[in-house]
Amino acid sequence: MAGHLLLEVVTPERRVFSAQVQEVMFPTAHRGYYGIKPEHTPVMTPVGNGLIYFTQEGQRHWLTVFGGFAEVGPDHVTILARESETVDMIDLPQAEADKQQALKLLKEAQTEHDMDEAQASLEASIIRIQAASHPGGHGF
Amino acid sequence: MASLQDIRRRIRSVKNTQQVTKAMKMISAVKLRKSQERLVSLRPYASKMKEVVYRVVASVKGRPEIHLGPSATALISPREEKAIRVVVVASDKGLCGGFNANILKRAALFLQENGDKRVKVDVVGKRAFDWARRRGLTLESEYLGVPLPGLQKVTREIADAAAQQYEAGEIDALYVVYNHFQSAVAQEPTVVKVFPVELPVQPMDAKAEIPHLLEPDPNTILETLLPRFVETEVLRTLLESSASEHGARMAAMDKASGNAGEMIAKLTLTMNKIRQAAITNQIIEIVSGANA
Repeated sequence: MAGHLLLEVVTPERRVFSAQVQEVMFPTAHRGYYGIKPEHTPVMTPVGNGLIYFTQEGQRHWLTVFGGFAEVGPDHVTILARESETVDMIDLPQAEADKQQALKLLKEAQTEHDMDEAQASLEASIIRIQAASHPGGHGF
Repeated sequence: MASLQDIRRRIRSVKNTQQVTKAMKMISAVKLRKSQERLVSLRPYASKMKEVVYRVVASVKGRPEIHLGPSATALISPREEKAIRVVVVASDKGLCGGFNANILKRAALFLQENGDKRVKVDVVGKRAFDWARRRGLTLESEYLGVPLPGLQKVTREIADAAAQQYEAGEIDALYVVYNHFQSAVAQEPTVVKVFPVELPVQPMDAKAEIPHLLEPDPNTILETLLPRFVETEVLRTLLESSASEHGARMAAMDKASGNAGEMIAKLTLTMNKIRQAAITNQIIEIVSGANA
């Protein structure tokens, strides 16, 4: 279909998303967001943590993503995500609890390893909360 | 000839066995479905990952102007194999037909073929562990009784350890010997080389005329991609083996239930014959007594 992109998000556990969309925006691991429209030049790039935005019939939707790899072609965007979830898969109270827990761990962290782990968990919970409550500032 | 009592007892015992095999078959069917689901959901990821890795590797191969870091260089450039590491994947439990026998035969053959190299062995599954101990192999690591969700952790440990050894020059390749899941009733003992990455002889696809932009640079991509690739490949083999095991057990138990049924039919027939013979004998005795 002209003017459309096939967005596929797969994790080792499952195929999270697969449908035709008009636009995609995903976080890269190295510098900010990557916006993709149909007929984009082929690109391969690592994916960071954040939200994947896409427009479907004028409506904006989003998924969470935690690391992975993207392959972009003129008519498709394939994201091999380490982890990814749709908004309805997110347990908001759980994410809030995780955030508090991570903040607590961050204060108590003794070693650098603990610190990194707490930081990662904090980031993940913030992304989930953002996804479940409001899309945040990364508009098209 | 066995007495009526004996045969009745035997029928009962065979019936009990049949109940056990039927139950095992049912359990295996459920487990097979679970393993198969995991495998089926991983396969698209794994094949896509392979495709991407091949593409990136193909685009940097033979271009010395692209600077690659040590780990990326190591994982894609094969060197002479003097020492290798091999993971032998079998099951924890028996009663699954030729599943373990076939894979261990393949593993033994593999060791024989690579007799001139130093070989480090990892085993997954109790049967593989017993096999290795019988052969007097020293093991790098062993994973026994790992449940399905635990496979990911096993994978990470094996992949990390192997990658470290590879970078340190202690091993030159990582192989996995496992049962490839073809269908619920067919498994194929398979040896796969996980790394260094070997490009397929045929180019992946002809339609990729436009080379991909590699952002930010090929080295960063390979360095993030390759460890995940190795992990995915190892995880895939473990899942393949798990699904194969349950498939093999289901087939074996189905066969066993069938055999038990046949045996019961045969014994029942014999039992009826003996009973009839006894009745006939009694009638003859009564009739001849009356005649006299």
